[in-house]
Amino acid sequence: MSLGTYYQNLETDVLAAMRKPSTLYWVALAFSGALFAMGMGLWGYQIMTGIGASGKMHPVGWALYITNFVFWVGIAHSGTLISAVLFLFRARFRSSFNRSAEAMTVIAVMTAGLFPLIHLGRVWFFYWLMPYPNQRHLWVNFRSPLVWDVFAVSTYFTVSLIFFYTGLIPDLAVARRHATGLKRWVYRVLSLGWEGKPNQWNHYNQLYMFLAAFATPLVISVHSVVSWDFAMSVIPGWHTTIFAPYFVAGAIFSGTGMVITLVVPMRKILGLEKYITIDHFESIAKILLFTSLIVSYAYIVEFALAYYSGNVFETAHFSYRLLGDYRYFYWMMLLCNSLLPLTLFFKPLRRNLKYLFILSIFVNIGMWLERFVIIITALAHDYDPYNWGNFAPTLVDVGIDIGSFGMFFMLFLIFTKMLPVLSITEVKEHAE
Amino acid sequence: MTREWLYHDKESFLLKLKELLAAGTPPERLTIMTPFHVHEVDHLLHLKPSPLKIFTLIGAAAGLAAGWGLTIYTSLDWPLRTGGKPIVAIPAYVIVAFELTILIGAIVTFGAFLFLGRFPVLKVITGGDATEAQFLIQEHREEDE
Repeated sequence: MSLGTYYQNLETDVLAAMRKPSTLYWVALAFSGALFAMGMGLWGYQIMTGIGASGKMHPVGWALYITNFVFWVGIAHSGTLISAVLFLFRARFRSSFNRSAEAMTVIAVMTAGLFPLIHLGRVWFFYWLMPYPNQRHLWVNFRSPLVWDVFAVSTYFTVSLIFFYTGLIPDLAVARRHATGLKRWVYRVLSLGWEGKPNQWNHYNQLYMFLAAFATPLVISVHSVVSWDFAMSVIPGWHTTIFAPYFVAGAIFSGTGMVITLVVPMRKILGLEKYITIDHFESIAKILLFTSLIVSYAYIVEFALAYYSGNVFETAHFSYRLLGDYRYFYWMMLLCNSLLPLTLFFKPLRRNLKYLFILSIFVNIGMWLERFVIIITALAHDYDPYNWGNFAPTLVDVGIDIGSFGMFFMLFLIFTKMLPVLSITEVKEHAE
Repeated sequence: MTREWLYHDKESFLLKLKELLAAGTPPERLTIMTPFHVHEVDHLLHLKPSPLKIFTLIGAAAGLAAGWGLTIYTSLDWPLRTGGKPIVAIPAYVIVAFELTILIGAIVTFGAFLFLGRFPVLKVITGGDATEAQFLIQEHREEDE
């Protein structure tokens, strides 16, 4: 097959994914859309009746909403890792995953961004978190990790969106050629009239490189800041120096898991087996294994630090985490995040897509549980036994959580039909 | 008069381009479009490296200044001691300064890309589609030649 035919096949194959959704697609979209609508409806109910509709109360004042916030921010991270970091390292398998991973980042940050709002008792005052001149002559407290979070997450969303869009520009020009009618006009405008002239490529390459170089430290800073929401406090189980690297590794781990969860079915349904190969999946499975090892190491270090400190509150907290009320969650988490991924040391399993898909779902569950365990056990069991108490979620909590998954999958499904799911330009370049 | 060559592969395209340039065709008479970045073209046409990096530096520096300026100014505007930290708590403000460095750096870099590349290209948006699918060389000649 000549290169010219390969290019044409590539374009038609990738763009064919954007035509005529199947019944299955509509069913999936309707289902996830319904879950999302349910979540939003429950949020509306919570706003109407008051924050008591949620199960979070003293002493567990941060509960499922914050668990979900950390979970979705974490999911977002590996999108940037796969795009930016692997771009800087010139890893070629990146071009099979980068578009879906970047879309996943943008969508996951949107989902995550809702949760601090849902968590607020009076959400209509959320703009108080922004520093702006006001008649009360008050400013936000820049010494507070919560304000750092506002800056970190909104910067992360903006920069990921720019990065995602920049990567799309030459591909939108390809889509523009194949589309008809109104769609053609939309792609024409979105592609900014891209022509592929040498000076355009010259500026474009610099832009892409700088955005990758910005995104890499950004991704590390964002989850570090999220971890400092906890680590800056004095609660045993939160107040530890290992939190930033521990959270960053966990974020990349969970995000890589989610990429596999999304791309395995996407590749099959959209018929992209030729371009996203088993070798590519093996490479990404290695990242999953590597980050799982880092996360497991962090679990050990947490316990080792508590033991070595000799601090009675620290040791009491960690024995509570392992053996207390939430022990089943913790054991399940260890199984999903530390034990099951060890099977990836075996090459046949790394190359088995069904296995990878199932494992990735376990990783998603495990990483959700990790955040749950960190947040809930620490608050439920702090210094003073008179201040202990357990957390019981309400239907509103659970419904909004499920709704966030609905939102994420709904937006991802819409993405697969609206935009090229593979970076056509890069796959062409690497086909040489 | 315009002569045009279309290629499906990079090698034949580069051969033709080299041939044209060797024959003394001035690069400004050539219009070249490629489906992806071809580094050899930059060398052949002696393109200068993009000045985008200067804008990136300016944007990042502006963001850093804005980050420090915002945090320090607002703390001094209403001095309120919290958490036993100094009014101007530099280590805490590093984070906001860092995030704004990246935010404004990225936005300015993207804006500079639009400016330097003369985007959006209206004539392509409103009609004549570009043929960036293939490797294209157009040679524009004076009418009287």
